[in-house]
Amino acid sequence: MNSLLHYRAWQGTFHSSWWTIWPIARVSLGVVLRRWMFWILYAFSLLLFLMFFFGTFLLAWAQSAVVVTTQQFGRMGNPEQLLAGMRRALNILNGSQDTFQYFFAYQGGIVVVTLSLVGAVMVGNDFTYKSLIFYLAKPIGRWHYILGKFLAVFVVVQMMTTLPALGLYAQKAFDDWNYVIDIDYFQGKGPAGVLLLFGVIGFGTLLSAVLSILLVATASWMRRTMPLILVWMSLFFFMRFLANLLVDGLQLSVRFRLIDLWNNMMVLGNGLLGFGPDTVNPPRHPEWWEAGLVLIGVCTLCLIYLNHRTRGVEIVS
Amino acid sequence: MPDLLESPDAGRRDRQLAIAPIESLAPPSPTPRPQAELAAAPVLLFHHVSKWYGPVIGINQVTLELRPGITGLVGHNGSGKTTLLRLAAGQLRPDLGNVQITGCDAWTADAKRHVGYCPEIDTFYEEMSGRRFVQSMARLVGYPRAEALRRTEETLELVGMKDRADRRLAGYSKGMRQRIKLAQALLHDPELLLLDEPLSGIDPIGRRESVELFKELARRGKCLLISRHELEELEKLTDHVAIMAAGRIAAVGTLTEIRDLLDDHPLSIRIASDQNRALAVMLLELDEVVGVDRIDGYLLVRAKSPRKFFERLGEVVLDRMIEINHLETLDESTHDVLGYLLGGKMR
Repeated sequence: MNSLLHYRAWQGTFHSSWWTIWPIARVSLGVVLRRWMFWILYAFSLLLFLMFFFGTFLLAWAQSAVVVTTQQFGRMGNPEQLLAGMRRALNILNGSQDTFQYFFAYQGGIVVVTLSLVGAVMVGNDFTYKSLIFYLAKPIGRWHYILGKFLAVFVVVQMMTTLPALGLYAQKAFDDWNYVIDIDYFQGKGPAGVLLLFGVIGFGTLLSAVLSILLVATASWMRRTMPLILVWMSLFFFMRFLANLLVDGLQLSVRFRLIDLWNNMMVLGNGLLGFGPDTVNPPRHPEWWEAGLVLIGVCTLCLIYLNHRTRGVEIVS
Repeated sequence: MPDLLESPDAGRRDRQLAIAPIESLAPPSPTPRPQAELAAAPVLLFHHVSKWYGPVIGINQVTLELRPGITGLVGHNGSGKTTLLRLAAGQLRPDLGNVQITGCDAWTADAKRHVGYCPEIDTFYEEMSGRRFVQSMARLVGYPRAEALRRTEETLELVGMKDRADRRLAGYSKGMRQRIKLAQALLHDPELLLLDEPLSGIDPIGRRESVELFKELARRGKCLLISRHELEELEKLTDHVAIMAAGRIAAVGTLTEIRDLLDDHPLSIRIASDQNRALAVMLLELDEVVGVDRIDGYLLVRAKSPRKFFERLGEVVLDRMIEINHLETLDESTHDVLGYLLGGKMR
């Protein structure tokens, strides 16, 4: 065996420890992407994208067809009502800020469910099985590990939100180039062009950043899938229900809605798309900066917890 | 190929003896060492290190200095072996004192580049292949992709896993997992190897190969600290041990040296000669001899300072032309030494 011991001394320069963030993320992604459950959920999330994608074509065709054959529709019902419905749908599918508001809102649900299911695999198992020891035995700090995990979750959320949203943007851009170059493409009904593109990227990045920090923190705390699902359901569904009850039911201050983290992300995200806080459904919302402060506070708490959690592998396990 | 029957202390350049000042042991006499060796920084240095887990103390005022060679780390469960290894691997920060690897703080990335750690746990990402796991670990060391791939292949070959490395970790036996763990620890050619139970679960052929590998690494100037429960295996590797008890280093040195210092437990020696009665009388006159009994035609001698005793025995036997037919030490094995030191049985 010793005849094989022929290390060639390494003459090059080692990469900085920051370079290890991507390999750490890639390991986590590799683990998740090998699971069929993830691909089922991803395919499910893409259905929504496809609905938006092909819905645009369908409605454009239907609108022109209805204009031409109004008399035929007269026999089937009120064509004006039908057209009004189509116009409402068009507002959602015309590539405007509404399109992306609805897309992120719908897509968010499936993202939350997916993350709660894969969180244990991506992060929790490192603590359950103490695999963290292997990472921390290498010349990296615990923050490199944490950032690597953030990056892995970030990529997953981006794959499910920003990437398909950019696909929708590109679809509209290929259809009409003015959409990209004319900021007032929608004639005062919201931004377009590069401004909207930045809004879309910003919304996706906001979701990815907040959800990755939340997931790494909660998964390192709960570790197993079922408890993690319960925590995430509480955070995103029960808190939403409670906030609605307090604000809409008991008519308390709108600031009680700040306990709904998902709503806070929507308020901020819609702000990035050019909407005011009142355009978020349900109505009556706190200011965007209040929502931002809450999210920053929650993320800071998560980071403090993660700092403690990874401080000593043996102590905290 | 190294000879398995050679000295178990192969590769050890420094056979310093350091005994912690505990009641039963006298302070060691300094062993002369070359000046150049003394000047070089030790590979691993614990300087008055203490570590608490809340109200429980993990290790207590540990001072330890290791240079190239193999050192066995032994002690009961809960004696602080794993804590010591994790402090050396930079995974825990000491509450008091400092741990240094080749002069750098063990917690730093620079120090970790000199350390290969093979923990006892063997649960990784079960869906990954062994090759992928080792390759990922190579990237974490900081190697560029091409170098990481080259080193992965070399270390997989070294541990005898090259042909089986594409299988998923979930399908690996305990022994295969040990080899993969060893591969990831050896990736960056570290000067200090911390091995927590590296031979458990490995088949006999694999053990023999691993023992050869460890000895070869030691010969090449690496420092290996090996925690092991099975003392027989450890004895094949080295007779230089660090003995831990209740969070302290009870003794560091070769077993013979440690045995010499156990004044409270005289060495028992069974001797048969052609003049048992005369020999017994002469032995009782030696300062080192505590007592002599005659049992079944043998003399059972209990002696302090064994090394000195054997020198005097030789002189006596030669002076009086006594023919020794049988000479056997009864409690000099690792088991016995540890039993005396730790106050209990070791496996």
